[in-house]
Amino acid sequence: MDCAVCHNPMITLELDDVETDYCLSCRGIWLDEGELEQLLGDTQRALDLLGSFTAADNCTEELRRCPICGKKMEKVFVGPPAGQVLIDRCKKAHGLWFDRGELEAVLHLGRFDSEGKIPKLLGQFFKNPETKGNPAPS
Amino acid sequence: MWQQIRINKRNSLLLLMGMGTVLASLGFLIGAAIGGVEAGWIGILVASGIWLIMMLTSYFGGDQILLASSRAVAVTPDVHPQLFNIVEEMKIAAGLPKLPKIYIINDPAPNAFATGRNPENASVAVTAGLLARLNRDELQGVIAHEVSHIVHRDILFVTLAGVMLGTIVLISQLFLRGMFYSSLSGRRYSSRNSRDGGAQAILMLVAIVLAILAPIFAYLLYFALSRRREYLADAGAVRLTRYPEGLASALEKIAGTNINMESANKVTAPMYIANPFRGKKAAVNLYSTHPPIEERIRILRNMSHGAALADYEQSYESVTRKKGMIPGSALNDESVEIRAASADKRPVSESRQKREMGDLMRKVNGFSFLACPCGIKMKIPPNFPSGQIQCPRCSRVHTVDKGKIKTSA
Amino acid sequence: MGPMLILLMFLVILTIVLVAAVIGIYNALVRLRNQVDNAWSQIDVQLKRRHDLIPNLVETAKGYMTHERETFETITEARSRAMGAHSVSEAAKAESALTGALSKFMLVVENYPELKANQNFLALQETLTSTENKIAFARQAYNDQVLFYNNKIQMFPSNIIAGMFSFTKRDFFEIEDAAERNVPKVSFS
Repeated sequence: MDCAVCHNPMITLELDDVETDYCLSCRGIWLDEGELEQLLGDTQRALDLLGSFTAADNCTEELRRCPICGKKMEKVFVGPPAGQVLIDRCKKAHGLWFDRGELEAVLHLGRFDSEGKIPKLLGQFFKNPETKGNPAPS
Repeated sequence: MWQQIRINKRNSLLLLMGMGTVLASLGFLIGAAIGGVEAGWIGILVASGIWLIMMLTSYFGGDQILLASSRAVAVTPDVHPQLFNIVEEMKIAAGLPKLPKIYIINDPAPNAFATGRNPENASVAVTAGLLARLNRDELQGVIAHEVSHIVHRDILFVTLAGVMLGTIVLISQLFLRGMFYSSLSGRRYSSRNSRDGGAQAILMLVAIVLAILAPIFAYLLYFALSRRREYLADAGAVRLTRYPEGLASALEKIAGTNINMESANKVTAPMYIANPFRGKKAAVNLYSTHPPIEERIRILRNMSHGAALADYEQSYESVTRKKGMIPGSALNDESVEIRAASADKRPVSESRQKREMGDLMRKVNGFSFLACPCGIKMKIPPNFPSGQIQCPRCSRVHTVDKGKIKTSA
Repeated sequence: MGPMLILLMFLVILTIVLVAAVIGIYNALVRLRNQVDNAWSQIDVQLKRRHDLIPNLVETAKGYMTHERETFETITEARSRAMGAHSVSEAAKAESALTGALSKFMLVVENYPELKANQNFLALQETLTSTENKIAFARQAYNDQVLFYNNKIQMFPSNIIAGMFSFTKRDFFEIEDAAERNVPKVSFS
């Protein structure tokens, strides 16, 4: 599967039974259909967050293509109007695309504690800003 | 066992000859209906010619055609060591001269089939969905069923009969369509010879009726025999593994998933261990290629005395209240005891199954796997441009061991 | 054509038919005997594979199972006795002891969750399970072949040919029985 932004091949990361697709070049994250729901769990806060998706119609950010079907994805806002996060969603419901830092922001919105599954998996990505992803191909 | 193979071979030959006769008479009648008795002989010749070509193709390349059309990929032992171990166990139990080639199909529906020409040239294919769902005993039951198909020489029969069936259907279709179009364009053929026009009209009528009936007749023969073969392969599987519950529980899991196989089609359907199409509630009619799976499970679970063919026969009779179907001479077997279950009883969650299936397909497709000491696992696609990778969590740099896991295809 | 000639021709034909039948039956018996030998060698291959597997298995498990020295000693001892066995009955007895020691080991492993999480050990465990299965299935296949072969050399007319060329009955391979009675089971007719 190729990254929706820079089109490099993505790698899959697995930790504690959680799997995400990750781009080492631009540090974008792809979650398959239903994976976010599964990861957030069945709490009320998770349901609230998932229910807060609203279409962002007049948005100027570049449209990205779904890495699974190659069709253009739509932009959606997550969270309450104050402090919304703009992410990409496949119109055919293949999954969600998070640019660098967006997934962290979404999790921050839901105030999921740091012992949660994704924060544990991804926490250090953002704590080590000097991490330069993948060494440049020679 | 040996007698059963002989009888199975003879039945196959009889069926193939029966189908050949249907094909030849179809050729004759169509020829005769179009251009008189002389043309009838030419019809036979043409029909046999088509039949011969298709037979030779399917004998020498049928398995490859079937495997390719099912999108099966040949794999090496490191992709799934347990699958290879189990196939080898069954090879030893059945005394096969050679280990069958092993293929994995990228399909989430659990299913399996065997194909090939003879025990020396055989292949077994299983779906990723099957491998993710079954435990060791269950997988062994399924592989034993497929190996039984190989031992019973069902694999060649299914390939050849499938081709013959295809030929019969093709010829009747061509004729009926030709009839339809020629009647639209002014009935060129029927009025050419006015002297025996009456006889020709009757011949034409018979040919039309036969062209409609022949495929149905061929289907019935083919499906009736492939149903019986499934029971026989179940009986053979129990005799090999000495553990009926393994296959029973595997069939139960297969029946419990309602996913249609995307990689199966009408011609390949009879090969699979369970019908790959689940859309409608399949009625047990004459057309169904497989016996009802619930009945197969009940027969297996009803075997309490032993694992010999005679025990299966007995259970079959008491469950279906029909006369048994294993040839008598094969039943003079020594008593075979049922063994105990093996230890592998892992309960596997739905999400874990899904992930294991994903990993399996990644291995088949040539991904490399890296485990970083910080606990993260990285799965790297074969087209990853760099030979080195930095762990996004702890910044350790790893070398990508490309080509460590490769498919043999 | 005199009656002598007819008789001669009859005798010649009879001889040809008889010789052909003898050759046919003889070849069938040789084929069966080879199948029995082949099945026997399958058991041998798997037993050797098990011997090769044990040092690796013990080495991997030792680090985790610190309180099971006795179990390891039993396994290692049974292995060396099986490898040094000189007769079939001695080998059968030692192999059966080894099977027992290994299955006991597998039960003990259940108490060490850390060991069961070790990928390397899991791979070894699968190989061992499979090898045990292969031994059992090879034995099963061998016994099936022996039954068929023994029946053949006892039945008319192949029993005559078997007697002429001294085809002898083969023993079944019964590990448990052999361990108890010290001799492989012999079938009586």
